[in-house]
Amino acid sequence: MILSGNAIQQARDAGDILIDPYGATRLNPNSYNFHLSHHLLKVVSTDGAFTYERFDIPPDGLLLQPNCLYLGSTAEIIGSKKYAMTLLGRSSLGRLGIFLNATADLGHVGALGRWTLEISVVQPVRIYAEMPFGQVAFWFSAGSISPYQGRYQHDLEPRPNRDLSILKELDL
Amino acid sequence: MILTGNAIQEAVQLGDISISPFSVDQLGPNSYDFRLGKRCKVYCEDELDCAKDNPTVNVQFGKEGLLLQPHRVYLFNTHETIGSERYVPIIRGRSSVGRLGLFIDITADLIDLGSIGQLTLQLHAVVPVRVYPLMLIGQVTFWQVDGVVRVYSGKYKGLQSPVASLAYVDARQTKEFYESNMDGRTVQPTNRF
Repeated sequence: MILSGNAIQQARDAGDILIDPYGATRLNPNSYNFHLSHHLLKVVSTDGAFTYERFDIPPDGLLLQPNCLYLGSTAEIIGSKKYAMTLLGRSSLGRLGIFLNATADLGHVGALGRWTLEISVVQPVRIYAEMPFGQVAFWFSAGSISPYQGRYQHDLEPRPNRDLSILKELDL
Repeated sequence: MILTGNAIQEAVQLGDISISPFSVDQLGPNSYDFRLGKRCKVYCEDELDCAKDNPTVNVQFGKEGLLLQPHRVYLFNTHETIGSERYVPIIRGRSSVGRLGLFIDITADLIDLGSIGQLTLQLHAVVPVRVYPLMLIGQVTFWQVDGVVRVYSGKYKGLQSPVASLAYVDARQTKEFYESNMDGRTVQPTNRF
């Protein structure tokens, strides 16, 4: 089951959900609106080798370009030891052609940090730091919980891929 | 929990889910297939801005359909009025449409409880693809809710779909929000958001 906005508030009061900073006016009927942090990485792929250009989004915003991948992060620290989370965009930004993630929308039980957003755009579009940027929804889990202890735990800024183990498994 | 097709039909009959027009033929095991509407809008400018009212123009098309191009957002209405005050609707494409590289929403799949109307679909084509009015384009699932429900009363309520982004309205409201809720932040909001 998905939590209602009131249930999100109660779970936060009970310590089962952490959202910081938090404002009750950001509650939706079934989700919480988070904001975009100032930090952004532009991913540059050269024949499959990745490098990252770091940006601080200026006060007049940053014009994102199509055919590019940017890693942003939530301004809020978000997590839960009890509920699974899904990350989703807001329709106001979807209508402007802003993707918030690349089909990786599940936040594991126990994951805690500023979430990295995989941002891409259909048309050039100017974005601003601190703008309401997406939503997180919370879901009941059935079964006993083995909380997330993965490589992205406690991230506080946009985090590039860390999955070098894949390369080892492939024996490259 | 997600509702089955039979549970969706029962909820429609009980008035807990609104789908109009409704046809049992469009029920799936866990969803209802909806149709593409006949109204389409695109933005006039290529370059968009989250803090501005980006003007749109209506696109006319008939039975011959409309060829969608990559690098452009197409806003369509759904043919059906869809919504619920009891079960959370989440939309998604149909796999037949996904196999053509056609997105029907842009990471905005959750419909707020109490938001009842024709949806605004955000079509985005990975490769050029032709779409037709009233084709089956997507599906809606319905999910049970835990907790007291406060229904949607947001800025899109009651507007005729498709509706262009109203993100710029947030820009006006956000400064006030920071002043009242964001004590202790190390960063200052920009002058726009």
